[in-house]
Amino acid sequence: MADRDRAARPGLFAQWHRARRADGLALRRALPDRLLPLLVAAMAVLAALALAGATGAQILSARWSSGAASMLTIQIPDPEAPATAKTTPPLTRADAVLAALADTPGAARVHRLDKAELATLLAPWLGQQNDFALTLPAIVELHMQAARPADADALARRLAATAPGTLVERNAEWGERLGRLADSLHSCALLAVAIVVGIAVVLIAATTRAGLAARRLPIELIHAMGATDGYIAGRFARRTALLAFIGGLAGSVLALPLLVLLSRVAAPFATSATPPPTPTADWATGWTTLAHTLPTPLVATLLALAPAAALIGWLTTQATVRAWLRTLP
Amino acid sequence: MIRLRDVGFRYDAGGANGTSAPVALRQLSFEVPQGGFRWLLGPSGAGKSSLLRLLALGARPTSGMLEILGSDIGHASRTALARLRRRIGVVHQDFRLLPDLPVFDNIALPLRLQHRPEDEVHDEVHAILDWVGLASRAEARPPQLSGGEQQRVAIARAVIHRPALVLADEPTNALDEYQANRLMELFRDLSGLGTTILVATHNDALIRRYPAHELELAQGRLVRNG
Ligand SMILES: Nc1ncnc2c1ncn2[C@@H]1O[C@H](COP(=O)(O)OP(=O)(O)OP(=O)(O)O)[C@@H](O)[C@H]1O
Ligand SMILES: [Mg+2]
Repeated sequence: MADRDRAARPGLFAQWHRARRADGLALRRALPDRLLPLLVAAMAVLAALALAGATGAQILSARWSSGAASMLTIQIPDPEAPATAKTTPPLTRADAVLAALADTPGAARVHRLDKAELATLLAPWLGQQNDFALTLPAIVELHMQAARPADADALARRLAATAPGTLVERNAEWGERLGRLADSLHSCALLAVAIVVGIAVVLIAATTRAGLAARRLPIELIHAMGATDGYIAGRFARRTALLAFIGGLAGSVLALPLLVLLSRVAAPFATSATPPPTPTADWATGWTTLAHTLPTPLVATLLALAPAAALIGWLTTQATVRAWLRTLP
Repeated sequence: MIRLRDVGFRYDAGGANGTSAPVALRQLSFEVPQGGFRWLLGPSGAGKSSLLRLLALGARPTSGMLEILGSDIGHASRTALARLRRRIGVVHQDFRLLPDLPVFDNIALPLRLQHRPEDEVHDEVHAILDWVGLASRAEARPPQLSGGEQQRVAIARAVIHRPALVLADEPTNALDEYQANRLMELFRDLSGLGTTILVATHNDALIRRYPAHELELAQGRLVRNG
């Protein structure tokens, strides 16, 4: 009796007491058990890894198909000889080709390797010497804009007219192959995510049905007293969503160190310019470098994991409970 | 207001072997006006509980037309049925209390389903606990109560939300004469306030003490209405 005495339970405590009391519908014990967050956490880790794979593959795919694929190497033998076309002042073959390349549509950058670069390039064959007896061909790198794949054959025909013997070499082959590989890795990773979501749905549905079966009598009773399907399903769904959210949160925290490790390993493939940040013991800088270590889409994914788990849990439970209630009059 | 026209009811087939259950009710036609009181009589197995189940919207008739509190059940949505159920109070033959919940929460169920403020729930439940003489057992669980005490909890739960229709299935079979008389006084008062009441019973002494309009069933048919 004293337990019910409102005067003895003023303020916040009374409100909490009433809120607890409001669960007097006996559903509390009917709701999915404590194992759920654990399982959701495990699946969240799997999903995080799969999504990391997807993100990584996408970044590599973009890099490989835009980097190597968009560069052409042009070799001009006998570069200092006069060009075929008669111009005033007369141009060398190399200058004529450079002039022709400059107004190639879609060219992002034209760069003729200088003596030092050539020497570096040839060092494995000719050794470190700067004076070559034979005249070396000129090497020009033509970087195309990513959106415009280079038409190497047409370019070769045009340059041959200016400087016969000029070779146009396409570096695209490997880039394209790696790009295709990255694309299929991306698809596989997305498939893995879909499978994890599918398993989560099946698992949550089974857990919910077990909970319904275990408390069949109270649920039938409150249904008979006029509780709507929406009310009963809502009670279950809110509870599952909370448990799934907790599981998702735990999962993303667990996945974090794995993802940092993975992105360190993958960093050299994705970016050549910036080396991966070195590990630091200082927590504050540790967290800021963390944000830079992980690609933005992956950070977003990680943050979205818990809400996504909650949403999946909510929707699945709603559908399961409503279907079950349809068996009642 | 309750109205039945040619209502038939058969329980679902008993399962995989395809044997169908016997017909529980056939060709029932009668009306009960708002505020009317009816005794529901008949031998065991006559169909009294089955009829109360239909009226409580615990099953849909297999045939015929059923109108409860002005709504045609055949054409009501699930949400409309739920809304109607909240205006009906039922005392089940087997009480159907939730064994894990304290008496207080068992009785509070109909009020909480109406989302009434907890202050109000507190006051109403204590008032009715006093009335049924169980004020000191608010925190007890139903299995710790005697049969008569459980029945009084079931009665309290059926009337606490002032339903428009009360359906009581042998509500006095575990009560002593004093308690049974008090219950009948309550029903008389509620009926005077416009509550429609049907009471199934085998208690002949009670019927003699409180004579009223009788509906008598035999083998699922209505054999007397008056
Ligand atoms: N859940 C059920 N499934 C199948 N048949 C049922 C079910 N409940 C009752 N019956 C059958 O329906 C018929 C009517 O039963 P009902 O319980 O309505 O009788 P009653 O008049 O309430 O009897 P009593 O006075 O013993 O309570 C009986 O033949 C019974 O066997
Ligand atoms: Mg009966």
